[in-house]
Amino acid sequence: MRHRRSRRARREALFAWLLGAPVILWLGATLVYPLVASMIYSVENIRIIGSPGAFVGLSNYVAILTDPDFWMAFLRSLIWVVGNSVAQVFLAFISALILAQAFPGVRIARIWIILTWIVPTIVIVIVWRWLLSTSGGMINPLLMELGIIDSPIGFFSTSVSAMATLVLINSWRWFPFIAVMLLAGIQRIPGDLYEAATVDGVSGFQQFRHITMPLLQPTIFVLTIIGTLLSFNVFDIVWLLTGGGPADATTTLPILIYRTAFKGYRLSEAAAMSVVATVVLMGFALLAVRTLAPSREDK
Amino acid sequence: MRRGIVGNLLLAGGLGFIAVIVLLPFWWVISSSIKQTSEIISITPTMVPHSFTLAHFDKLLRSSDFPRFLANSLIVAAGAMAITVVLAALAGYAFFRLKFPGQGLLYRLILVGYAFPGIVVLVPLYGMMSAAHLIDSLLALIIIDVTFALPFAIWMMRAFLVAVPSEVEEAARLDGASHMTVLTRIIVPMIAPGLASVAIFAFVSSWTEYLFASVLIQSDAHKTLPVGLAGIIGQYQVDWGLMLAGATLTTVPVVILFAFIGRYFVTGLTTGAVK
Repeated sequence: MRHRRSRRARREALFAWLLGAPVILWLGATLVYPLVASMIYSVENIRIIGSPGAFVGLSNYVAILTDPDFWMAFLRSLIWVVGNSVAQVFLAFISALILAQAFPGVRIARIWIILTWIVPTIVIVIVWRWLLSTSGGMINPLLMELGIIDSPIGFFSTSVSAMATLVLINSWRWFPFIAVMLLAGIQRIPGDLYEAATVDGVSGFQQFRHITMPLLQPTIFVLTIIGTLLSFNVFDIVWLLTGGGPADATTTLPILIYRTAFKGYRLSEAAAMSVVATVVLMGFALLAVRTLAPSREDK
Repeated sequence: MRRGIVGNLLLAGGLGFIAVIVLLPFWWVISSSIKQTSEIISITPTMVPHSFTLAHFDKLLRSSDFPRFLANSLIVAAGAMAITVVLAALAGYAFFRLKFPGQGLLYRLILVGYAFPGIVVLVPLYGMMSAAHLIDSLLALIIIDVTFALPFAIWMMRAFLVAVPSEVEEAARLDGASHMTVLTRIIVPMIAPGLASVAIFAFVSSWTEYLFASVLIQSDAHKTLPVGLAGIIGQYQVDWGLMLAGATLTTVPVVILFAFIGRYFVTGLTTGAVK
């Protein structure tokens, strides 16, 4: 009996590996292998993609780590990530609390709030370039009508406003995604907790503070970590709206890596930057995976 | 929960705020795409079009490369979608319905892939594609789009696969059905909504992909919508009408798809989060 059961388990395991094999091979070839290749590139001196370079040890790392441009981009990425997290979680929280209520049309609202997330980034780029433009556009006339500004402002023309505008646009795109996840967290809180609290005369705000907030904390934590990684990766919105400018003010790490590789043709330096970024991000990711993966009990 | 008048007002206000920030920009773009150029660039913007013209769409479809970009994007997104759905279903079944050694670790590794920065592997992938003679080929984009859709797609399968009662599977196994038969005849029909939501996710993420398409595709003939439209922006710096028409038409396919399976998609997104 024991022998038969273990044979069955072994066959099940074999079948499972067989089903998983295509995914493992696919991701191995297109993620793991390139990552290893990146590490190799980073200790070589490659000028043309596809042709091997000479081994140069850690000199590429020395070059980038002593380059102020790299550290500035690193710092901007940090600002970018933190700014996005704050704006997204704030907007998402309000939305999730509203969508958790019962009102006519709530089911439709819960689905279509995700609209800004499913629309291609190129559309978002066109939309906001036009809305914020100084000729035509909608935002400048609106702000002038409201008396907030006197003459049209160029949202992308100064360093601070360019960064802030990009953060807001990217957050506008991503907050519904976070909101939907938060909503799921809110809906998982047992309703009888609130009922009991209401019977005990606890006010709505106190219920929010002592029931909703503590029980949502794990969800918020996970979303913040995922949000951090996903924000870091954002390339297209920044590249297509400002190209990293004005005067490099929005050159985050992905922009710098792209420019170093495909405009400056310093491929090995770009690879070294990629490796450094990966190491930093994987530190975060390890944390995220610990909380995301199914815990042992429920498997 | 009962709400007082204040609660209702707050709710209505908040809902109005969300509706405005989500929908108003799209309304402005779509409604302006049928305005005449003079109205689009007028200093006093109009909420509702005062003029009507299809000239922007006409120009976009007849005298720009937009139709070709659209066709390329459809090919790439459909290809990436089909492959992702099949691979994610197979792997999802292995992860969430079967037991095998190394399961937990492998699942974690795949999850890391979800937040993996594409820019980090851009240079080596370019090298690999160039060695495989896949530069300027739509196939290269399909391959890469699958890579970046797979981890999240597998994660989404979880909600749907865990929901299938194990009795169904055991009964079939007792009747002598093989694992493969159980998967194709019983599980797949039961998780159809899950497959649909994975499909829309893969389609959308491929539809929007810019970074790899901008590097791997070189000829106009093979450009996808994001890269093609970005080029059009550069070419016609001030032709807002053309760009707004392009934005409108690029949005339509995903919105149509979403109208049909959005319900399942949001379910997959949220119930997948259940730990």
